[in-house]
Amino acid sequence: MTVTPKFSPEAVSNTLKTFIQRLLLSEFFIFYLCVALFVALTPFIPVIASPYNLSNLFSNTWPLFAVAIGQTFVLIIAGIDLSQGAIISFTSVIGASLIATKVDPAVFGQSPIWGKLLFEDGAILAHTPLGVPIALLTMILVGLLIGFLNGAIIAYARIPAFMVTLVTQMFFASLAIYFVKSENIINLPKSFTSIGADSGLLSIPLVMTVVLAVVAHFVLSRTVFGRWLYSIGTNLRAAVVSGVPERKVIILTYMFSGFCAAFASIIYSSRMEMGRPTLGAPFLLDIVGGAVIGGSSLAGGKGKVIWTFFGVLFLALLGNALSLLNVPFFWIEIVKGSVILAAALIDVTRTRILQYHV
Amino acid sequence: MDDFILQFFGINKSFFGVKVLKNVNIEIRRGHVVGLIGENGAGKSTLMNILGGVVPFDSGKLLLDGQEYAPRNPAEAAQAGIAFIHQELNLFNNLSIAENFFISGFPKWGKTPLIDRKRIRLAAQEFLAQVDLNISPDMTVEKLSPGERQLVEVAKALSQDARIIIFDEPTTSLTARETERLFGIIERLKSAGKTIIYISHILRDVLRLADEIVVLRDGEVVKTGPKRAFNIQTMISSMVGRYLGTLYPERTSRPTDEMALEVRHLSKAGIVHDITFSLYKGEILGVFGLMGSGRSELAHILFGLDTHDSGEILVEGNPRNHRTPRKSIQQNMAFVTENRREEGLLMTATVAENMGLVALPRYATPLGGVLRQSLLAESIRNTVSSLRVKVNDAFQNQAKGLSGGNQQKVVLGKWLMNNPSILIVDEPTRGVDVGAKYEIYSIINEIAAKGAAVLFISSEIEELIGVCDRILVMGVGEILGQFSRAEFNRERILQTAFREGGK
Amino acid sequence: MRIQTNHRWLLFVLRNISLLLFVFIFVAFSLFNERFASLRNFENIILASADVGIVAIGMTFVLLTGGIDLSVGATMYITGAIVALMLEDGWGVAAAIPCGILAGTLWGCFNALLISRVRIIPFMVTLGTLTAGRGLGLLITESRHISVPNEMRFGAVRVFDLVPIPVLVFALMVLVAVVILKYTPFGRQIYAMGNDVEAAKKAGLDTTRLTAAVYIISGFCAAVASVISISQVGSVSASFGRGIEFQAIAASVLGGTSLFGGVGNVFPGTVIGILLIQMIQNGLIFMRVDLYLQEMVKALVILFAVFVDAQRMGLIKRLERRNIRLEKRIARPAEAKKLEWTAWQ
Repeated sequence: MTVTPKFSPEAVSNTLKTFIQRLLLSEFFIFYLCVALFVALTPFIPVIASPYNLSNLFSNTWPLFAVAIGQTFVLIIAGIDLSQGAIISFTSVIGASLIATKVDPAVFGQSPIWGKLLFEDGAILAHTPLGVPIALLTMILVGLLIGFLNGAIIAYARIPAFMVTLVTQMFFASLAIYFVKSENIINLPKSFTSIGADSGLLSIPLVMTVVLAVVAHFVLSRTVFGRWLYSIGTNLRAAVVSGVPERKVIILTYMFSGFCAAFASIIYSSRMEMGRPTLGAPFLLDIVGGAVIGGSSLAGGKGKVIWTFFGVLFLALLGNALSLLNVPFFWIEIVKGSVILAAALIDVTRTRILQYHV
Repeated sequence: MDDFILQFFGINKSFFGVKVLKNVNIEIRRGHVVGLIGENGAGKSTLMNILGGVVPFDSGKLLLDGQEYAPRNPAEAAQAGIAFIHQELNLFNNLSIAENFFISGFPKWGKTPLIDRKRIRLAAQEFLAQVDLNISPDMTVEKLSPGERQLVEVAKALSQDARIIIFDEPTTSLTARETERLFGIIERLKSAGKTIIYISHILRDVLRLADEIVVLRDGEVVKTGPKRAFNIQTMISSMVGRYLGTLYPERTSRPTDEMALEVRHLSKAGIVHDITFSLYKGEILGVFGLMGSGRSELAHILFGLDTHDSGEILVEGNPRNHRTPRKSIQQNMAFVTENRREEGLLMTATVAENMGLVALPRYATPLGGVLRQSLLAESIRNTVSSLRVKVNDAFQNQAKGLSGGNQQKVVLGKWLMNNPSILIVDEPTRGVDVGAKYEIYSIINEIAAKGAAVLFISSEIEELIGVCDRILVMGVGEILGQFSRAEFNRERILQTAFREGGK
Repeated sequence: MRIQTNHRWLLFVLRNISLLLFVFIFVAFSLFNERFASLRNFENIILASADVGIVAIGMTFVLLTGGIDLSVGATMYITGAIVALMLEDGWGVAAAIPCGILAGTLWGCFNALLISRVRIIPFMVTLGTLTAGRGLGLLITESRHISVPNEMRFGAVRVFDLVPIPVLVFALMVLVAVVILKYTPFGRQIYAMGNDVEAAKKAGLDTTRLTAAVYIISGFCAAVASVISISQVGSVSASFGRGIEFQAIAASVLGGTSLFGGVGNVFPGTVIGILLIQMIQNGLIFMRVDLYLQEMVKALVILFAVFVDAQRMGLIKRLERRNIRLEKRIARPAEAKKLEWTAWQ
């Protein structure tokens, strides 16, 4: 008779297998990955743990997290919003073109909004007392409006979401550039630029984003609307039969996504101290990637605000490390693309593990 | 000597612990037409799916030409010469008829990689001629009528050199003339030596076509023999059979004479025609109809999931003009759909999430819709225990892990949490084992006893007789007859549905 | 019955929308500017269509299976980078072009592997390979703007003094694609799979292989398009091929290819689609419309195309819904003939 030793290769490999499966399925998998990445990198680039770098890292994280929250909502209903980058750009231009204190006619003389919103001695609301609040409100409203457009077309015309938002993406990204003829609007008032100014770890963007995240988390987990989102993403037909007003919910979700993009646009624009027509262009992949890496599924019905935070943090950390390592731009692109593929792979693997074990 | 082409010996099959085929023995002679009849859920489809390689059998032996035969997939079955003509046709609408015939193996043009279009056209033409279809083989399938598609499907079976052709309810979407044509072709196939298995609810047709008839009931062969041993009466009585013991709970309440739902002259082109009936509070009104009778479509219209062209629907005397399920729910209607997987449950969500879905707004603050979670959780817990849903942890376990009966209880519970006054249930006991069936009938009884009106749609006549106060019989989108409790009689109800007698 | 006939008309319009649009826009631009309708300008439109058109051919294969390929622009860039670098290193055109095309096709194979074997959804895979591919291109070119020698600039050369090479290549590719899709088992099986994957599996088709093949074809087409584009532009810059996926998808969908799979063709469909897009662009240039306004117009045209596609599919589904009651269906032979005729168009 043979007695199987306790630490036989099979036993070890089985334990390892269950461990990896558990790890993959864990809610905190990506968070662990962030910690591991951070710990692993610190000996090589000690700068990464410096307060200055951490503050920089987080100030990159907050606005991205804000947009990704909106994307998470959309992913939960099995949609996708590719227009968020364009909303960031477009609202940035709109906001700045209301409050710029000085506008160079040599640069903007050809712009279609010259003489309508932009004047030589400043934009239309530049020197009015409520200019900045009105500009912020307008940015938010524009975000909501574009989101409404996305949602209404998706809900009523039944066109795939990625196609609709691709089109609005193209349209508003071009419109933003057209409005200002590819130029950045500078000379924004202090009360605007101070919103996103670097002020250590406890900054205004942090407070704003955390409030947004808490509200979003509350909506998802504690309200009827949140439950409706998950039910639509899990089984649209069953949700409709159960009385979920699917069109209303879809439209509101895309509006929220637009809102989050405009919200992030405020932080980005004030930090860069300009209205920039290409502001949102580079973020698309980070936004979708952050949400998906965190664990929201493109197939819908799954997603949490905290997961998205981990995903965004992971991407920001990765980007931060790569730039500290002075890795050229194109390597960052390659890594980002690979991370997207890896995230999709993790999603597929998780689903398969669950299929075999439930 | 008997020349059997196909022999089933002691075939057993279970799905999720429910036995759907029990020790089935059938022998089929070469060149015969065999009629296979039975009520819905008797196991006909499963038996044929085994033959067609769609599902494997658990135990027993299957012989084809005396050789053991166990197809692992439809392609293997096709190779063995078995063609299955489904109710839902398996043609590619966007391809031509000829291409559909040869999609899995095109002949090549000489040594080129190109399709020999001339050859497939000629071949297709020949097979189309065998089914009397005088249309171009280059015609795209989407341009054909349902009847023509059916015949194309037969021709395709011939093109693949099928020896055994299974027809599953082939006439449901055919006109009378098309049906005649199909029968002529079946006769011809038979004289050409093909073996035919013909499944239908239209007993008259079975009697006319078949040489032998096999009756299945509850997964067992209850009667088999040559055609002359059967007439419509004996076919129906052996299909329905006699049940032992009490399968149905006692009705403890009586219907009131207060109207809950009234339908007047409801019509929708091609779907339902001139439907008129009333449903009273406290009543369980059965709707008997076979697949394709328009019963489920009627339910969809009543609940606002589909539109109607003319006629009125009155809910407690008020006209119902909207057409969204949400408004229907606000009028206290509830609808347990026929299709649990697609329309009933969020399979990957927890039992609790499913249960709460309809009634969510009741457990939320009017402003902002913030859930009162402890209240909701308690309510869900109560419903789970009062319906005796067998689940370890309703807040952790996914709906897809439950048995069919428990899943159905979750669907019922989801609606009951909203206190409906009109409940429509469509095939509530499909895929549910006997014990759970009894519980579901009891739940429906209780709902009616509390004063709600229930519209109970089913294709199982026994359960309607056991549970309902009144039965409407539907067919071809119309109400063909009405029976009050005193008049309940299986044979007469079936005859009305089949339009075999009475008319 | 009346409603049914109206549906048939609507379907007819929806099916032929691109042709109707083509005629309408052509007339509109011609009225606006008499030089627009000249033969010379028409040639310009076709010349400008060649590279995007070739990409759109590959995209049509992918869309026919119900998939999508967002990575074609990156594939073009990788091919372009390799061709330009090899030429810079002194390799001849005869070596550089095959190597470039091979590299692009390999990138397509990568998509094919992840989509057909690993079964990740096409949107996600090609979004990833789009980003990574661009990075890879930037990596090997070190983000430089590389001009190619004259021997590579054959974009304006005419074969037999008549047809410019890009147009010839485009026409050849169209011809081959049409032959594959219409006359080979592989082509017909792509349609079958796009119509109903489950039924295709039941019929014994190797859906994994078919899926893989379309992404490889798409990669190959993008690579060929890249070569054609370099021959016309004469250089490879960091933005080479950027955004071409939208134009290719738009051309296919405008030409009647459905995003839902199973419906569409390369000729006349995709060819008309791409000519339509280039004609609009060309017309807008004639009208001196701002570059970014042109983009916005293009966006609206794409939206229109997918809108029409969604309506068309919805209508077809409704028409195909099985009727329970049949006495309403009257099919007189003459009527049936007419329907057949309209459906052929």
